[in-house]
This record gives sequence, C-alpha cells and structure tokens, in this order.
Amino acid sequence: MAAVTLKNVVKRFGVFEIVHGANIDVNDGEFVVFVGPSGCGKSTLLRMIAGLEDISGGEIAIGGKVVNNIEPADRGIAMVFQSYALYPHMSVEQNLSFGLRMNGNPKADTERRVKRASEILRIAELMKRRPRQLSGGQRQRVAIGRAIVREPQVFLFDEPLSNLDAELRVQMRVEISRLHKELGVTMIYVTHDQTEAMTLADRIVVLNAGNIEQIGAPLDLYDDPANRFVAGFVGSPKMNFMAAKVVGNDEGAAIVALANHCGAKLRKPLSGAPPAVGAEIVLGVRPEHFFEAGEGDCDIAVKADVAEHLGSVSYVYANAGPEELIIEREASRQRANGDQMVVSIKAGRSLLFDKSGARIR
Amino acid sequence: MRYQNATAYRFLAPYLLIFSIFWLWPIISSFLISFQATRTVPWRFAPTFNWGRLIGDPAFFNALKNTLLILVIQVPVMITLAIVMAVLLNSPLLKARGLFRFAFFAPVVVGEVAYSAVFRLMFNLDYGIINKLLNSVGLPRIDWFSNVTPAMAVIMIAVTWRWAGYNAIILLAGLQSIPQDVYEAATLDRVSKLKQFFYITLPLLKPIIVFCAVLSIIGTMQLFTEPFLITERGGPGGGTETLGLLLYRQGFRSLNFGYASAIAYTMAGLAIAISLVQLWLTRDPK
Ligand SMILES: Nc1ncnc2c1ncn2[C@@H]1O[C@H](COP(=O)(O)OP(=O)(O)O)[C@@H](O)[C@H]1O
Ligand SMILES: [Mg+2]
Repeated sequence: MAAVTLKNVVKRFGVFEIVHGANIDVNDGEFVVFVGPSGCGKSTLLRMIAGLEDISGGEIAIGGKVVNNIEPADRGIAMVFQSYALYPHMSVEQNLSFGLRMNGNPKADTERRVKRASEILRIAELMKRRPRQLSGGQRQRVAIGRAIVREPQVFLFDEPLSNLDAELRVQMRVEISRLHKELGVTMIYVTHDQTEAMTLADRIVVLNAGNIEQIGAPLDLYDDPANRFVAGFVGSPKMNFMAAKVVGNDEGAAIVALANHCGAKLRKPLSGAPPAVGAEIVLGVRPEHFFEAGEGDCDIAVKADVAEHLGSVSYVYANAGPEELIIEREASRQRANGDQMVVSIKAGRSLLFDKSGARIR
Repeated sequence: MRYQNATAYRFLAPYLLIFSIFWLWPIISSFLISFQATRTVPWRFAPTFNWGRLIGDPAFFNALKNTLLILVIQVPVMITLAIVMAVLLNSPLLKARGLFRFAFFAPVVVGEVAYSAVFRLMFNLDYGIINKLLNSVGLPRIDWFSNVTPAMAVIMIAVTWRWAGYNAIILLAGLQSIPQDVYEAATLDRVSKLKQFFYITLPLLKPIIVFCAVLSIIGTMQLFTEPFLITERGGPGGGTETLGLLLYRQGFRSLNFGYASAIAYTMAGLAIAISLVQLWLTRDPK
C-alpha cells in the first residue's frame, strides 16, 4: 500500500501545456476520483502516474519514492483501461497470468493469485474463454482481475465503466467500491461522470482544462464548492445560475437583486467582506433548493415550460427572461404548459460567485 | 419480385456474357483440352495422352523441383523480411514514413521488363555492381548466370525485392489494427519489447501473415517473368525453368496446347493444395 503525491506536475505535448502544475496528495488506502469534462487532462495525469507518459515538470512519488524515472512496471501500480486492453488471443486465464508467466513467477504462486482474483471477481467459470466471447461487464471484470493479480500498491482506473450500459455501470460501481473495501489499497479513478465520482470517492479532484479546481470530499464539494465551475459540475441536474447585482450591505450581509426577476431581493449573510455595492455577481441555486412560495427568503415568479416526472421527483424547466432554471418538485403530477409558478430561494441554500466565477463567501 | 430479378439479370447480362466467354469458357475449355492429343489434326480425345506424359516427363519434374525449391526458400524469407519491414515502418521513431512506404511499395509498379533488365545488369559477371561489391570486400566474383545455384539465388533475390514491400504494406495495416493499449498493458506487466513482439504482435498478426503467405505461394507457383527474362528462359540449361516457363514453352513454342493445359491444371492444383495445408497448419486451435 502506498500514498501517491503529485508535486507541481506539468505535462506538455510539444508546445501545448495540458496539465499546469498539479498538486495532489492521495493518502494510503484512499479512493480518489479525478473528475472533469472530456479533454481536461484526467487520463494524461493518470498515465503520468502509471509511467505511460513522461512527466514534463514536477515530481510524482509513490509510497514516498519519486518515480519520475522509474519504469512503469516497477512503480507498484496496476491500471485498468477504458477499452479493457485485454490480450485478444489469450483466454481469460492466460490474460490474468501473462505478466507473471513472462517474468518467471513461480507457477504455484501464479496459480494462487489467478485463483484469488477469479474468486474476488466471480469469473471462475469464464477462465477458458477468449475476450471476444465475453460481455462488456465480464471483460471489465477480467481487466480488473488482471490488475488484482499484480497485487499492486495502487490501482489506477481510466473511465472503466464508460463502455457499459447504465444498469451494468451501477452494478460495477458497487463492485469496485466493494473491491476497495476488501483490498484496502489506494485507488485512483478517472471519470467524466460526476455521479460516479460522488458515489465512489473518499475525495474528489475536480479538473478543468488542466487545472485543479478543487479537492475535497464529495459532500464538501456539493455543499461548499470553491467556484462556479465546481458548483456547476458537481450535482445533478446542474446548479442554476442567475445574474444578480449587489444593491446594498447590511451588517456583513449583501443585499442581492436578481436581474431577471423584477429585482427580487435576497439578503445573503457572508463571512467575508461583502462585495462593493453595484457589483455584478451570480447567484447559484441547486434545483433541489427551491422552496414553496413564502417558505424561503425571496420569492420569484417563473414560467414553467416543460416538466419531467421521474416518479419520486419532477424536474420543471422554467424560464424567466433569458434564464432557464431547473426546479425540482417533490411528487408533483402537474403538467407544465407555460403556467406561472412561484418558488422561493433561501439565503442559506444559495451561493454567490463573482464575475470571474470565484466564490463569495 | 420475379420481375425485379429479371431486370437485375438483364443489367448484369453484358458482364455475365463477357465473363462467360473470356473467363469461364477458357477454364472449362483448357480442362477439356488437357484430355486431348493436340499434336495431331484433328485433336482427338485421349485422357492419358497428356497426363500420362506428365508423370513420366523429366522436364516436368525438373520444373516442379525448381518451382518448389524457390517456393520453400523464397516465400519464408520474404515474409520474414516483410514482417521486419512492417515493424520498422510502424515504429514511432521512424521519420519520413510516407517516403519509406512509397519506396517499399514502388517495386510493384516498376515495369517487369525494366526491372529484369536492371537485375541482369547488376548481376553481370564483368561490370555488375554486385560483383564489384564482392570484389571490394575481398570476395571472388561470381558468374551468376552460368551456374544453376547462383542463378536460382538471383531469381529468389529478385522476386523477394519485388514483393517484400508489397507484403510489408499489407502487414503494416495489420500492425496498425492492433490497439496500442494492449502494448501499454503489457508494458505495465513488465513484458519486454521483444517478448511483446513474439507473444502479442506475431499471434495477433497471424491471420495477415497467413494471407500474405497464401498470396505469395500462388504467385510463386506461377513464377514466369524472372526466369524468362533474368536467367534467359530458365537457363543455364533448364536449371531455373519453372512450371510457368515449361507451360509457356509447351503451349506457345511447341503449340502443344493439351500438354500445356495439363501443366496449368497441375500448377493450380498444387497452389490450392499447398495453400490449404498452410491454412490447416496455422488454424486457430479450438
Ligand atoms: N499524445 C498526445 N499528443 C498531443 N495531445 C494530447 C495527447 N494525448 C492527449 N492530448 C491532449 O491532452 C488533452 C487532455 O487529454 P486527456 O488527458 O486524454 O483528457 P481526458 O480528461 O478526456 O482524459 C486533450 O486536449 C488532448 O487532446
Ligand atoms: Mg480520458
């Protein structure tokens, strides 16, 4: 088992800098998820940890040892690829044992490890099959099994579930979680799916365009995002953002007027210095944080265009002027055909961001 | 439905007609001719006339021996060379890949007569570059075209030069269809590049290698141009005469169409048989 430390890690492809100085501390035994939109550099970061990409700058340490110049096979890691990367011409058993056999590992030990992996992943009955004779979920299991057989100190997963259908994805998610508990080993997991990140992670690293936006426990990111990007990325459906203006200060609170809601005003207590009066800001409210008219601190009227009824909850797509809002309603059965609707916002359930997207606390 | 089919066949008719006359009929006709004595006028049906001659004809067995000898040496050497070339072409370290790809493929589009002439010059006893090179490293020059063994060697070298690049390009396509992450997984498994080649690349490339081998076997069975032009009609003294050349000699020099047809069918039969054996030997174990 080992901690993984990234210090000012930079990656350049030619003249393009893809990762701009990443600092991440993954604790021993921790499950850390790198999440971010496609192309933000998650895979690149993971492949640098694995040793499949050179490190252009900074330092990566695994188990306290700097690995910048250490061969991938000597880093004590195992990786599960998005495409599984199974050896197509080998049976499941051969796939699992290939690395050990090629390195002259004692036969009995190889057999023991393969057997253990096949038991953990419940693939014992598939051992003689070729990858092409397996379903997506089974291939995924074999790919994880191949990682287990290496008995690594750190597991690396690169979007392992993105080729699976929705149902299987949920199932495998639970299984990976179980595996982490069972093995108790450090895992770094890359995904663009915030639901996967929220459900699996001890801590999440939110990446955007090669920058780390925030590192924190899933619910901390949800409750207390550092900026507008994290606020919008974590949580589903996305947080609503409304244009607003600071119209006054009141004992450490900002008085905020919503631009597209006839100047509806909200008094938002802040821990820091309130922004200057007249500043253009953004108010963020999650769909699940709209309340019945009169229950919150500020009522707004919107026009409900479309409602999606999921059974336990409904999502109403409403608009007010140029802004579209998603509003969660509990157990609603109402159709929405341009009806007027009044909902309420609570100061404690809303967030303020300045023009640049930084949080105003 | 029926009507539509009829329309389709009417559109196909010109092709089918030409196909039947110039392709199907010669195949059938030559098969029939192989059972006829064609040195007499009119031809007469004599099933053992040509086939009987074939199994007792030293010229046939000489040509068969030469053809098979070229086949068993040249095809494996060429395929091995083609694999090496394909791997080099596929290397990320290679610069000017397009140029190399073109250069490897170019021999196929060079005119046969021109290329044969160049090979004759290169292997010329007195002023060929090959003998000059041999001399310059202190080896005696070789009279390439007066002795059977060096003459056979020249043919094999020429055929290999001409077709190795072609096969390399086909193999390159196969190499490029192997996903990169399989190699990355192997790297993480601490499998050396050499072992990756033998345990991953070769097995995954096997179907393409077999395909190239079968193509080459069929091509070499019909070998004609090189012994005809480079070693001057199978010289010295029939030492490089191939089945293709024997067929030509019988059919177009002696105008013995029946015997030539029998030879042609023997060549086709051998190509099919050897290819089937090849496919059977390299089949996927189930
Ligand atoms: N080998 C490469 N050469 C050049 N650019 C690359 C290479 N690999 C990735 N990139 C670029 O780096 C960025 C991050 O890629 P990646 O890490 O794969 O993103 P993701 O977060 O989707 O996994 C992308 O813009 C991609 O185009
Ligand atoms: Mg990726």
